[in-house]
Amino acid sequence: MRALIAAATGLAVAFALVLTITAMGAPTGTTSPKPLLTTVPAHP
Amino acid sequence: MRRKASLILLALAVFFAALSPLLRWYAFPRLAKIPANQYQDMVLEAKDATLLDYNDGMKAKKVSKVTIVQTLRGNVEASEQIEKTAGKDVVVWDGLSYVQGPDGAMVSKIPERYIFDAHTQEPVHATGESVDGDPVKREGIEFKWPFLTEKRNYEYFDAQARVTAPIHYKGTQHFRGVEVYYFEQTVPWTKVPFPKAMPVAGITPEQIAKTGTTRWYTTVRRFWVEPLTGAPVYGEEIHKEELRGGSLLGGREKVTAFAGHVKMREDYIEHTVDLVKSNRTLVLLLTSYLPWGFLILGVLLLALSLYLEARGRHPGDPAPAETSQPEPVTA
Repeated sequence: MRALIAAATGLAVAFALVLTITAMGAPTGTTSPKPLLTTVPAHP
Repeated sequence: MRRKASLILLALAVFFAALSPLLRWYAFPRLAKIPANQYQDMVLEAKDATLLDYNDGMKAKKVSKVTIVQTLRGNVEASEQIEKTAGKDVVVWDGLSYVQGPDGAMVSKIPERYIFDAHTQEPVHATGESVDGDPVKREGIEFKWPFLTEKRNYEYFDAQARVTAPIHYKGTQHFRGVEVYYFEQTVPWTKVPFPKAMPVAGITPEQIAKTGTTRWYTTVRRFWVEPLTGAPVYGEEIHKEELRGGSLLGGREKVTAFAGHVKMREDYIEHTVDLVKSNRTLVLLLTSYLPWGFLILGVLLLALSLYLEARGRHPGDPAPAETSQPEPVTA
């Protein structure tokens, strides 16, 4: 019984971790202030 | 004590073993996405190209170089607006293809807005989707392939002709140390609209349309795509444009407007390869390194847990020594 509880705990923590990370996602940021280029840049 | 340790190890073993498939098949598809605020520029060159001289009797001339500057800028505000109704992560790219002659003068500039799913690169149809100011409804991909690109043909949107056609998988190659899938698309001679911005001031596409002259285009488009990220590390086009018929050509049947082999500039190739290599490592981390690492760790922890459990239950183990109590002393 204790082994079952230990396994279930491990499984629950794995699910919780992955769900939290994916729910947080990445910040979207803001639109770059750089213009659409009409001159040839010297380098990338 | 051993039983407690084996239970903790068992919990950890299940944790890591479960994390392995969860990372690969649940987290990765949700975490891998094109950032909404991406900004990217690219310079392509066609050396020894043929270019129409509008100021000298509409003659096609050999020029040393035609340069194409392509910029893509993620419009975060527009993507957030579309996400409200689309119900998924959306990227809006405002792009500009600016073509410049050898003297630095503008040959053409074509703006476009490309809206797509941040995870799958499937097009999303929303107001504002356009090429050169004309509304379009894209099908297929443009600029970038999906993450985990497959060895198959894809539908690719051609912004000049504004049509979608297959781009064919032609094999696996190595490009500067990166394994890539080579794709090729041939667009046959197709009548296409004149750009809104013409190289000669005062001339509009409407004025040219009145002369009866039409613009035709064909291209062979080649992409070398890194399959994990879906990012092209190199691209080429064998591009030809003609003006045909009408009074603008002075009795000639057709004249070449542009012909050239367009290739990425060397410094941009190096930059792109470095960037793709770095992003490739991140994708590998989520699809391979971490899932396999966690799975192996889970199995090892499980084995250790079972070992400790077995030793705890072993009948041959010596019984724990009893602590002797001091005899009471009688006075």
